[in-house]
Amino acid sequence: MKLLVWPHMGRESFWQGLDGEAIAQKFLVEQNYRIIAANFSSHQGEIDIIAYDADTLVFVEVKNYSFRCYGSPLSAISRSKRANIIHAARTYLYKNKIKNVNCRFDVITIYRQADGSRQVELLKNAFMIN
Amino acid sequence: MLVKIASAAVLGLEAYQIEVEVDVSRGLPGQSIVGLPDAAVKESRDRVRAALENSGFSSPPGYFTINLAPADTRKEGPLYDLPIALGMLLVSEQIAGKNMDHPIVIGELSLDGSVKPVNGVLAICFSLSKTPRQVIVPAANADEAALAQHLEVIPVDSLRQAADFLAGQIEIKPHKVDLEAMFQDEPEYDLDFADVKGQQHVKRALEVASAGGHNVILIGSPGSGKTMLARRLPTIMPPLSLPEALEVTKLYSVCGLLDRKGCLITHRPFRSPHHTTSDIGIIGGGRIPRPGEVSLGHLGVLFLDEFPEFEREVLEVLRQPLEDGQVTISRAHSTLTYPAQFMLVAAMNPCPCGNYLDPLKACTCSALKVKNYWSRLSGPLLDRIDLHIEVPRLKQEELAAQPMGEPSKVIRQRVIKARELQQKRFNGSSTYCNARMTPRQMREFCRLDKEAEELLKSAIMHLQLSGRAYDRILKVSRTIADLAGETVIQACHIAEATQYRTLDRKEMN
Repeated sequence: MKLLVWPHMGRESFWQGLDGEAIAQKFLVEQNYRIIAANFSSHQGEIDIIAYDADTLVFVEVKNYSFRCYGSPLSAISRSKRANIIHAARTYLYKNKIKNVNCRFDVITIYRQADGSRQVELLKNAFMIN
Repeated sequence: MLVKIASAAVLGLEAYQIEVEVDVSRGLPGQSIVGLPDAAVKESRDRVRAALENSGFSSPPGYFTINLAPADTRKEGPLYDLPIALGMLLVSEQIAGKNMDHPIVIGELSLDGSVKPVNGVLAICFSLSKTPRQVIVPAANADEAALAQHLEVIPVDSLRQAADFLAGQIEIKPHKVDLEAMFQDEPEYDLDFADVKGQQHVKRALEVASAGGHNVILIGSPGSGKTMLARRLPTIMPPLSLPEALEVTKLYSVCGLLDRKGCLITHRPFRSPHHTTSDIGIIGGGRIPRPGEVSLGHLGVLFLDEFPEFEREVLEVLRQPLEDGQVTISRAHSTLTYPAQFMLVAAMNPCPCGNYLDPLKACTCSALKVKNYWSRLSGPLLDRIDLHIEVPRLKQEELAAQPMGEPSKVIRQRVIKARELQQKRFNGSSTYCNARMTPRQMREFCRLDKEAEELLKSAIMHLQLSGRAYDRILKVSRTIADLAGETVIQACHIAEATQYRTLDRKEMN
């Protein structure tokens, strides 16, 4: 895992992000996902977690919220963000020579409650490639 | 993996079979629809996905390619939602296609998984299969589909129900309708000729018009009852026969104008487009041409109120369908022919102020104004109108009187009898009423007795009638003779027919 503070991001947000991903990984393992990679990036985009759910390869995007927001978590992932994730997924499949495997895009949303506890939601098959 | 489901596309009044091919391959999740889909077909993607999930199925993994074959014709509308959804379920093995008799499947999906009605079901059911076959249709279209009695119509209200039926888990009884029962009761109308005060000669003229299928123009001052009379015309027209009713219903089904409750149209249509309607609205048109008012008035009445107020082009485009009984519309994508055997009923004022022929009120229009008003109607168009009827303002005592006319039912009986005579006469030819007689048929059937011949000759002399007017008078007098049950046209018939040629007489021109 590259330890790098992005220039636009405060130190706090960065640690919060890492924290969130750890929570997401733990949650996925509890859901019987087999995690095979994390933070894979192509030149265009990044995938937070890559895991197998039974024989389906799942690309997971983790969204952290410090507040309870309304609306679908899907709307938090913009068209360009989706394009980046899809690009990264294609790159991953290509580099690892994975063929003939069903894939899926999931989104995990983590809300930080007022008392500091976290609420995790998994949205399966959140979007498709077109 | 590949699954094929039969569906249908409507083009004009005909339909052709479409194969909805659904293929899935492993890989990133996605879906594409090919085969020249329009926007509504492309959007089915989102409807299908939501409907699948809300019906308790899972949105299946993998990349789906959906082909609507043949790939070179444009596919319109939402009727492929149901076959696509069923194809996706079959191909992802969420249901087993046990009950697969290669049915034709049509239906629009709602997001909650219910099946919504679509347009053109009757056209699809009649043109797709002449042999018994299963069709799965939205429950709301079941009556309409069942009019094609040779088909096994399976009505479904939800995706779940359709899927269970294909999987053989439930049985759905084929839907049947009783055609005879639909035709047994006489069509009921809210309007009746008995409501109309006075205007005996106009009522008689309309009776003649509907008996012979003649076009009519009503000329009269404002408030004299032109519109009121014209609206009652369908009540004295003969009822539609079954093939005619099916033809009309097909047209309305394709346009999506069908009342969902009563599936078969048994009333003659009455269309009265506003005078701002464009020529395309009257004739039909669009990228893929849709029927216009002339076609929607097929086998019924096309009523044009304020006749000279219509755009000149609109009136001129009427000429060809009046002659041929059909319209052919050509556009870049397709050329379609729609039937247009309507009876034209036009209504107009005699001058811009409306009082030109009024004995009581003075007309304020200048002679030039009146001339210009009339010049909006071209000669060739007026030539196609057989009966010209003046509708005078009612007198004081007539207005005060109770309406005491003949009820429509009685008039209709006479009209039906006259039409039956015509049917017998024209049996075997394409002519179906006196108004559409060919010159040869006129020579054969319009026999005059001696007295009638003399009268006609003197009428031509004194009224300076043209050759065309002569033909019209013969045709109309044939109808009048039919109403009287006579085989040979007599002098009184000629006399009555001559009366209906107001516009050929001098004072109007």
